[in-house]
Amino acid sequence: MLLDIQGLIKRFGGLTAVSNVSFGIERGEIVGIFGPNGSGKTTTLNLIAGILQPTEGSILWKGNEIGRLASFEVAQQGLIKTFQNPQLFPELTVAQHMRIACHLHIKRALGIGRVLTLLRGTPGELDGVLTRKIDQMLELCRLADKRGEVAGALSYGSEKMLGVAMGMVCEPELLLLDEPASGLGNDEISNLDAVLRDLRTHGVTLCIIDHKVGFLGRLADRAIALHHGAIIAVGKTTDVLDNSAVVEAYLGKKHA
Amino acid sequence: MSQLIIGQLLNGVIVGSLYGIIALGVTLTFGLTGIVNFALGAFMMLGAYATWYLYDVLGWPYVPAVFGAVIAVGIIGYLCDRALFQFTRGNLVNGLLVSIGMISVFEALVLAAFTTTPRDLTYVLPGALHVGGLILPKIKVAVCGVFLAVIFGTYFALTRTWLGRAAFSYAQNPEAAALMGIRTGRLQTIVVVYSTALAGLGGGLYASMYSIDPTIGSGYVLKAVEAAILAGIGSVIGALGGGIILGVSENIGSVFLPSAFRDAYGLVFLIAILLVRPSGLFGDRS
Amino acid sequence: MKYAAPTALLIALFAPLAVHSDSILAIAIYGFMAASLAVSFNLIFGFTGQLSLFHAASFGVSAYIVTILVTAFGWNFWLAVVPALAVVLILSLIVGTICFRFKLKEFYFAVVTMAFSEILRLVILNWNGITNGSLGITVVDRPSLWTPSGAVQISSGIAWYYLTLALLVIVYVVCQRILSSWIGRCLAAIRLNDQLGETLGIDVFKYKLLSFAVGSVLAGLVGAFYGFYSGFVEPHYLSISLGLDIIAMVLLGGVGSLIGPVIGAVILTALPHVIDLSAELRIGLYGSILIFVILVMPKGIVGLLGSRKNAA
Repeated sequence: MLLDIQGLIKRFGGLTAVSNVSFGIERGEIVGIFGPNGSGKTTTLNLIAGILQPTEGSILWKGNEIGRLASFEVAQQGLIKTFQNPQLFPELTVAQHMRIACHLHIKRALGIGRVLTLLRGTPGELDGVLTRKIDQMLELCRLADKRGEVAGALSYGSEKMLGVAMGMVCEPELLLLDEPASGLGNDEISNLDAVLRDLRTHGVTLCIIDHKVGFLGRLADRAIALHHGAIIAVGKTTDVLDNSAVVEAYLGKKHA
Repeated sequence: MSQLIIGQLLNGVIVGSLYGIIALGVTLTFGLTGIVNFALGAFMMLGAYATWYLYDVLGWPYVPAVFGAVIAVGIIGYLCDRALFQFTRGNLVNGLLVSIGMISVFEALVLAAFTTTPRDLTYVLPGALHVGGLILPKIKVAVCGVFLAVIFGTYFALTRTWLGRAAFSYAQNPEAAALMGIRTGRLQTIVVVYSTALAGLGGGLYASMYSIDPTIGSGYVLKAVEAAILAGIGSVIGALGGGIILGVSENIGSVFLPSAFRDAYGLVFLIAILLVRPSGLFGDRS
Repeated sequence: MKYAAPTALLIALFAPLAVHSDSILAIAIYGFMAASLAVSFNLIFGFTGQLSLFHAASFGVSAYIVTILVTAFGWNFWLAVVPALAVVLILSLIVGTICFRFKLKEFYFAVVTMAFSEILRLVILNWNGITNGSLGITVVDRPSLWTPSGAVQISSGIAWYYLTLALLVIVYVVCQRILSSWIGRCLAAIRLNDQLGETLGIDVFKYKLLSFAVGSVLAGLVGAFYGFYSGFVEPHYLSISLGLDIIAMVLLGGVGSLIGPVIGAVILTALPHVIDLSAELRIGLYGSILIFVILVMPKGIVGLLGSRKNAA
């Protein structure tokens, strides 16, 4: 088990946003978490990524507890999260974004030896590796022709793809995607779909949250449905989507 | 000993009410324009010099001299708002730097005009009250009374009048207030000018108690910002409370601890508050 | 702009051969020291996005420690620099840890660093036995250099010129190497969007603290020399108004540029001498320039030069 979540609870004051959620993610699968707005999807993702600290429960990453780690420590463990509303560095170009996102790669490659680069500069060999990797990721995310553009000038869809590309450059073992399809047009969604399938062939495990059932239904191997902060159905995506409790949560009792 | 402490307590309240009146300006300006106006100290200094000039040099009676000074400082405040502050709305760092820059400009101008020689007003209100063995100079009691009246008056004006409620609702939710037809630009200007006029009043009354020099403002505005942050920035009565807490703790503190470090107590207090309770003593918890 | 710094250095190296005025030499020396302060401040402010009002305190504390160790305890100057920088390092780590652990942002960071800075100034002002209070300490000693023919005192204007130029080059190169390395990219990430930086695996706290500590220690290095050239140290060295002068230099030259603060510092140091201003009006001039630059040319002189080049 790559990620194992047991009895996760998060309370904000009197409000319980996530109540007693448990699930696991195996290496190589695509897991979809969905549920209507306010069902605790984003909170769950933020708890895994270390942006929020759980009130109770444990989050095991390859058997080690990471529930109390800060978000940069979680990222260093190989667990990267993208944002629902694209978070970028205004005034920097796409290529500069990617270069910053190479932080973890450089850290893993050189360790404390990075201090030497203060005197000698980055080793040419590593520099070449990084450049090739950035090119490859931009190609994969259909951003290759936009590498010189400033982030502020990108379309909303490209901003979201840049978020995914930056996450990928961090070499995650598990990529957490927060509503990657929200706000995208149909063309952009089918593009995203293709990119995420490509990522899977590269051996990345994905955990995607979305409230759009259609997009996730095609992509995810396994689905988890949340409602009012609790899991109401787990299993194969098609089964979960047909589950009466899930339909009810989405459409409301009256219409079911 | 107890008389000394009570004396220092009253002194602390009097000094604290002066901090409070400038802190009130700091709080109002921050609530409506999103900047912390450090230049209020310079406006206080201008108010003090204007009062001194009208009273001692031109020979006006004291009360009209203070009114004249308040109006003059208000006009300068208006000009500064139109020329400078309106371009820094909502940008804390730029507003901070512009207002600190203004302190240097005003101090330099007053220095060039009146030199560093401290100025003293001839006695405005001589004599002292004797209350149970304590000696209270009449002027200090009168000044403290005026400050308290102005601060409470402002509080009632903010809660009871249309303009005040508009200001309050703007501070709570700028967009909604704008939708309701409140002219935000004008409201912001009114508040900036009112704050500078308050600082001018503070300076005018300060001049009747202590000697003045061009640098008095920077020390006091630091205290006022401390008071406003202590209280929780945005709270009107809190500004007075913060000022008095600061004034009293400095004066009582200097009875028991080396008085040379009197200015440092407030700073230590300020750091602690900002770290532990950033919304201030009286602010909402968030 | 790529060759601006090496060209300026080349000119500075040979300028004394052409210019033989002691007063111009003195302006250049003060200009180099101001430029060193401005460049190191810009590491914290322009590149990391933290408005520190602690810079003058680092400068002043170091100036006092070196001066006291040399004049009162008879230490060798170079030996005295070590504990001075160590104290500045420790102070900056304490202040930085407190501020960054509590995630103080923008204005609140500025206020808290200002409060710490004022507390240090008050300590120095009131510790009469050691610091001589508001009168300050007169410095008559000069640092010496060891040459094959024995120790030589650095006392002539020309020697100070090259010493302070070397100081500026050291500060500049340290900042330049940091900014062109992975640390520079981490600092940019923190300045532009620290939350995103954190999710990309950047230890925001560590790199903020690193930038603050390195910038402060470099300011301390300048402080160590300053008193020995000016001939005195006084509590004003730790004042908020000195911090403000540094900010004005950085903003005038160009915030977020390496060479900008050097230009700003040299202009603001030379200007009062060129147009012969009294001390009080000089402060007013700095204030007006600060206001003007923020409102009218937020990218400073370097920004103006850059935009003209882009337009062409």
